[in-house]
Amino acid sequence: MTFTEKQTDPTSPMHWRGDMQADYLYPSGIAGDKFFKHLKEHDSFLATKCSKCGKILFPPRLYCEDCFEEIPESNWIEVPASGTVKLFTVATINAHGKKLEEPKVIGLINIDNTDGCLLGIIKTTDYGKDFIGVKVKAVLKPQNEREGTLKDVLYFEEY
Amino acid sequence: MSEEEKRQFEGYPKYAPGTHVRDKHIYNKEITYTWWEPEVQYSWSLGPAMSRFLQELKAGKIIGKKCNTCDRVIVPPRMFCEYCYNPTGEWVYLKDTGTVETFSISYLDPDARRIEEPILIGVISIDGAAPKHGFMHYFGEMKPEELKIGMRVKAVWKPENERTGSITDIKYFRPLRGDEE
Repeated sequence: MTFTEKQTDPTSPMHWRGDMQADYLYPSGIAGDKFFKHLKEHDSFLATKCSKCGKILFPPRLYCEDCFEEIPESNWIEVPASGTVKLFTVATINAHGKKLEEPKVIGLINIDNTDGCLLGIIKTTDYGKDFIGVKVKAVLKPQNEREGTLKDVLYFEEY
Repeated sequence: MSEEEKRQFEGYPKYAPGTHVRDKHIYNKEITYTWWEPEVQYSWSLGPAMSRFLQELKAGKIIGKKCNTCDRVIVPPRMFCEYCYNPTGEWVYLKDTGTVETFSISYLDPDARRIEEPILIGVISIDGAAPKHGFMHYFGEMKPEELKIGMRVKAVWKPENERTGSITDIKYFRPLRGDEE
């Protein structure tokens, strides 16, 4: 075959297929570890309180993000797994741009008794609703299925 | 943190002791973590020349392509000569023997871990093709100290039913024995 010959059989040129292994492992850190281990056993969250400025950090941190104060062991507090929606968006397509069968409501939820927020899915069938200010509570996996990741929080629902 | 690990941190400043995460913490699930395996796939269109080369490898043959302008046989084959930019001419079957052009002895595996038995790799210029070019492959059936530039080698093929149309259809190149020349 020379270059001037036409390629008439589209099945003859081959494709080399392969995949690249690019796993990653992200340890939760000291504070995150404590948070997730608590979540595994309980139906509530943990937060930390800064002894200098009084800010309640959620997700819990070992150092205050405003005044860099170290947070002692005694300042860990238990907070309920519920909160108020601060922001929300209704997704109609997935991460690859494909249309979702059911729209998905994703909200930024200010956890009760804290100054921090958590992103979560809000389970609903009313996609036209304004969720800002709505009270929601977390629905967690059954305790024996929890793995100690944020996926243990299945979704949030109105209450 | 175990007592032993605590002792390791004695010299560190109090405000930043640091915490080591070791394999056992992950495998024994002593700490929580997030593990993600992204599915990263690719498909590389080989084009007519490389496709034919791999199909011939599956059949147990090495094929090159001749450039009629500069009179070189190119392997792996190309549709264009990289020297004179002319379209290449006819296909040429080549022997599965060759000469070591350059080599490397690696005591690290592809994940950069130290290994006892080194990996021997190098560039082999195939007999019948133009000299001073060729393709990379493994060497086998030889000691690291036996590997030399200019050494004569021969391909060791996978059994026919295990070949998939890949450069690894050749397992490795072994030294050519005296009576095989």
